[in-house]
Amino acid sequence: MIFGMWDSVLFHLGPIPVDHLVVTQWCIVVILALVAYSATRDMQLVPRGLQNAFEAAVVWTYDFFTQLMDKEHIAKKYAPLLSTFFLFILFSNYSGLIPGAAHIPGFQPPTSNWNVTIVLAVITVFAVHIAGFQEHGLGYMNHFLSPNPAMLPLNLLEEITHPLSLTLRLFGNIFGEEMIIAYMLFLVPFLVPFALMALSVLLAFIQAIVFTILSASYIATATGDDH
Amino acid sequence: MRRNKWVYLGILALSLVMVMGFATVAMATGAVADPEPAVPEWGNWYVMGWSAVNFFVLLALLYKFGFNPINNMLEERTNTIESSIKHAEEVRVEVDQMQKEAQANLAESRKEAQEIVARANRTAEEMKTDIINKANEEVSTMKERALSEIDAATEAARVELRDTAVTLAIMAAERVLERAITEEDHKKMVREFVNEAGDYLC
Repeated sequence: MIFGMWDSVLFHLGPIPVDHLVVTQWCIVVILALVAYSATRDMQLVPRGLQNAFEAAVVWTYDFFTQLMDKEHIAKKYAPLLSTFFLFILFSNYSGLIPGAAHIPGFQPPTSNWNVTIVLAVITVFAVHIAGFQEHGLGYMNHFLSPNPAMLPLNLLEEITHPLSLTLRLFGNIFGEEMIIAYMLFLVPFLVPFALMALSVLLAFIQAIVFTILSASYIATATGDDH
Repeated sequence: MRRNKWVYLGILALSLVMVMGFATVAMATGAVADPEPAVPEWGNWYVMGWSAVNFFVLLALLYKFGFNPINNMLEERTNTIESSIKHAEEVRVEVDQMQKEAQANLAESRKEAQEIVARANRTAEEMKTDIINKANEEVSTMKERALSEIDAATEAARVELRDTAVTLAIMAAERVLERAITEEDHKKMVREFVNEAGDYLC
């Protein structure tokens, strides 16, 4: 019962249970896909309206990640993944601001559950190592022995702490934020939670940015020439 | 600005009403539970699996509907711009060529025009000289003719005067001599007289 509020099964798809969280994720996927589809449904050589905004956003992500990761081909290759991280996390975080979230059983932002955030972190880890091997081949293994073979245990530890920190940071922030807002709505259901919700708009954005930038910097480190 | 302020305030108030209303309804229907300080259950493999699937589906959809068409469009636009620039360059070269040709033509035309004018001037000059020469010739011819006419007239007048003088001299001599002289004497005397006095008479 204690965990039920946070992680309840809404229905079963055959033998597979579908949690509320998963349905929230579906909604996010559908919304983002619809926006993307409507933006690029009728592509024009001279962009207008939503296409223009979408193109500007995509080009901006390329520029942003190129600046962050130094290598343009890596940035262009991983910009879709990193942008998807950002949008998925951002929309997940913002879904916690919809009235009723964290109060109605099962309705909570997916990122407030660490089963979700660890999946994102593990995807980052895979992306980092795939990018590293693609860029350096087997020479990427030297990365674990740099600057000195004696550092191998620490380097291996780092490979565990990276995803763990990504998981816990995102989960902790959003879960904490949701808890505080839920308590505030329960204790003082007028005006006070509103200020906190305004703050969490910022927080949700910052967490999405932080996860994305950290993932990008891990990929940049793995593909960099300095190891 | 003022209108924007009211729009923002309106949205804010509406959001507030929605939040409060929803919370009230939720509480009234008993949907709201006392939030427990519960850490989400760890190790729900179904949620992990679904999350991974959802994430990759989103990635695929965003790639299909977002990044892919935009990359293609950006590439197409780059190609279009490049070809436009190339075309513009070609047109510029062509225009330069045409301009050079036009200038060459113009210079040639100007040269031809100058030649024509020069030729016309030359012809005019020749004609002028010709006309003047002809006129001069005519004048000199006329002058010569006039002079010869004058000479003839002078000669005629001299002859007439001489005849008159002879006649007068004869008449005067007749008077002085009061006798008729023979034709032969007469003519002899006159001839002598004229020969002597001719220069004085004319």
